[in-house]
Amino acid sequence: MRGLPANLVIGAVLVGLVVGIAALSLVWTPHEATQMNIRGKFGDPSAQHWLGTDQLGRDVVSQLMAAARNSMTVALIAVLLGGSIGVALGLLASALGGWVEEAVMRLADLGFAFPALLFAIMLAAVFGPSLTNAVLAISFINIPVFARITRASANQIWTRDYVMAARAAGMSRFAITRDHILPNVAAPIIVQATIEFAVAILAEAALSYLGLGAQPPASSWGRMLSEAQTLMFMAPELAIYPGLCIMIAVLGFSLLGDGLRDITDPRLVRER
Amino acid sequence: MIALEDFCVSFGQAVALRNATLSLARGARLGVVGESGSGKTMLGLSLMGMVPDAARRSGTMTVDGVEMGSASEADWQKMRARRVAMVFQEPMAALNPLRRVGDTVMEPMRLHDGLSRARAQARAVSLFEEVGIPDPAARLRQFPHELSGGQRQRVLIALALACNPALLIADEPTTALDANVALRITDLLVRLSREREMALVFISHDLGAVSRATDTLVVMYGGDMVEQGPTAQVLAAPLHPYTKGLLAARPDPARSGRDASGKRRRLPTIPGTVPPLHALPAGCRFSGRCSVEITACALQRPALRWADATQAAACHLLTGGDA
Amino acid sequence: MGYFILRRTSGFILTLLAVSVVVFGVMNVLPGDPALTILGIDATEDALDALRRDLGLNEPLLNRYGSWVWNALQGDFGTSHSFRVPVADLISERLPMTLSLAVAGMVLTVIIALSLGISAAARHRKFGDWGVMFLSQLGIAIPAFWLSILLVMLFAVKLRWLPPGGFPGWDEPVAAMRALILPTVALALVQSAVLARVTRSSALEVMRQDFVRTARASGLSQRRVLWRHVLPNALVPIVTIVGMQFAALVTGTIVIENVFYLPGLGRLIFQSISNRDLPTVQALVMLFAAIVVTANFIVDLLYVVIDPRLKART
Repeated sequence: MRGLPANLVIGAVLVGLVVGIAALSLVWTPHEATQMNIRGKFGDPSAQHWLGTDQLGRDVVSQLMAAARNSMTVALIAVLLGGSIGVALGLLASALGGWVEEAVMRLADLGFAFPALLFAIMLAAVFGPSLTNAVLAISFINIPVFARITRASANQIWTRDYVMAARAAGMSRFAITRDHILPNVAAPIIVQATIEFAVAILAEAALSYLGLGAQPPASSWGRMLSEAQTLMFMAPELAIYPGLCIMIAVLGFSLLGDGLRDITDPRLVRER
Repeated sequence: MIALEDFCVSFGQAVALRNATLSLARGARLGVVGESGSGKTMLGLSLMGMVPDAARRSGTMTVDGVEMGSASEADWQKMRARRVAMVFQEPMAALNPLRRVGDTVMEPMRLHDGLSRARAQARAVSLFEEVGIPDPAARLRQFPHELSGGQRQRVLIALALACNPALLIADEPTTALDANVALRITDLLVRLSREREMALVFISHDLGAVSRATDTLVVMYGGDMVEQGPTAQVLAAPLHPYTKGLLAARPDPARSGRDASGKRRRLPTIPGTVPPLHALPAGCRFSGRCSVEITACALQRPALRWADATQAAACHLLTGGDA
Repeated sequence: MGYFILRRTSGFILTLLAVSVVVFGVMNVLPGDPALTILGIDATEDALDALRRDLGLNEPLLNRYGSWVWNALQGDFGTSHSFRVPVADLISERLPMTLSLAVAGMVLTVIIALSLGISAAARHRKFGDWGVMFLSQLGIAIPAFWLSILLVMLFAVKLRWLPPGGFPGWDEPVAAMRALILPTVALALVQSAVLARVTRSSALEVMRQDFVRTARASGLSQRRVLWRHVLPNALVPIVTIVGMQFAALVTGTIVIENVFYLPGLGRLIFQSISNRDLPTVQALVMLFAAIVVTANFIVDLLYVVIDPRLKART
């Protein structure tokens, strides 16, 4: 793996780990994640329960795995949903220019004024807290991010010679967007998507911690943390595992995104 | 007042400066000529102690009797601006864009000489006058982006003079300026050197400016000082093959047109290019491009040989006493 | 210059208006019938009718929006459904708490980030630089609420130096300060990670510029060059990020208040959500969003003050 930046490698390893575990949980977990066993609560780590059990006797490892799956799913949907809308808007703005571009950028500015949390709060107040609301809120904040970055990259491509040539040859703006713009903006978009994945994981955890995300009995790292907080005096390690998982997942995607950015940066000689 | 002896600067395998030896008295004006990569900038930086941290230095350097060859950064900070000052090549970005030029010039005065704001301002005004900036009091309050290139260079010279240094090093002070302004700046530097009895090191690849501004000349190639002597003498009767090539390469209307046989005259050039710093020949740096070299040239480094009392060149082919 | 301010200000007001439309829209249009949301599905038809009249829900949408904005500008944010007091009172009661936390957090963030960022740039490619880069990566990845829990476990449970949460009231200043230490530190550590990286890269960019060499040649010490010449020039991108960080600050403050059970606006929002208190939530969301927009606006104006070159261009 020589020549590849360190953060890319470490990020890829961590991401592989987390995604792998999440995928694995679809088919197998040591125990049923939601199965309670009050008599076996606060169990120590053992061969049966590798990290012990929580306050309701649930196996910690299974919970963590199920939570990993939920976290990845939420992040994936949010980034895909918000990302595709955002990219579409950005491409539209760049291709059409004029007042369309102005309008899209104003909308993006508006989107930036709303942190995900505020959005989720609004949805929760109106519809009640749920995972769907959390996903919607996180998707919404992705739209302006992707719109802005797509438009900026696309604008640069539009000025390139081969695009000018295509326009002169009468190619439609839609065709140019599909054949020339899109492939060339793919790199920065993928980099941004990876970073937004990290953001989404963090956001989902925060929302679940506050009770605005995954509702019981669904497993979530954030919710595990809020439950563990009340039990700090009795079982401190229960507060450590979920937080560690969040950190590893976020770190992984974040490093991966940074690494991808380093290798796709057109200014190859970059002072770090 | 400043003397270098066998000063070397290297970055691992790449030798930027080899056995540089010179000495300057107060009020003397030395020109340093060479192409990019010849080591002339490194020479200038060495005189300020601003050689990059990664470089290895050896040799001795004395500034006003103080040994500075291996001095620390803290020691150099006391020397800079007060004893030695430098003006760099690119005036455009050389001033802090967020500060008024007056404040920039007053800073070393207030810091090193402890002047009050009022007295620093008065001195700044007189400095601006001295370097030929019209309406100095108003100019003090301006920002760098409001000044032209030539004016910025004058401000930089004023800054260098702020604490009355004994030596001013000017590294390509005129390269980034247009010809008219360049001429005036060159003359300004000479005048300042005379009026203040300040030593001047004028680093340039512009032979015309150097001939105008300096009394002694050093020619550099590949980190070596290959020739030195009185400026007029070196330019009129060069000893080193490189210097000869350099002078021959100057466009000269008298030598243009057609020669005796009717062929168009071509501008003479020195064949080849300067090798990278880590791939310089071990002996004479110029070997491989020299039109009169002998086998010994690539292998053995020539010592400085004196043709007369004042002019010397480092070439095996020179007859005459060793340095 | 005046034209520039005018344009920016009108943009600011437009954005605020747009934000208010979004907030009003989501809170009043989406749920269909806010009265139902507030009282729940078991409510009687009479109770619902009474509430609808109370809230003025029978008016046309535009009128309701208009009166909401108009009242808000005069400081009337409606009445809290659950507490039965004007929302404005609830806000003013809890505002000092949130403000203290946010301001203290921001100040600490800036101090930590600038110091770390500049020192990292000064020790570029040496141990200190890598250390800061590594720490900042961690800081970005660590959830604020988890860091808070860890801090509480260390300082409150194990060492018993600081309280694990809650707020004793402003009457005992010392106890109040102690209660605010962990929350402020947790908030600042997480936020400073991003800012430290930006500071470092911005400082490195600036250090490559010619005037830094000039400053060194004038005999100025490394420290002076760094703090008096490099930092002011590095500020422009830093200020941008600080502006963008207000969104994170708002989020962070809300989260931290809930982690530490501090009686501020963040806690109030969550109590209101549980109580289905729509008017309060609406007012608070609008308030927070307005803060973010205002912060960005001020940052925009600050550029012109900081950089005289921009002033020339406007």
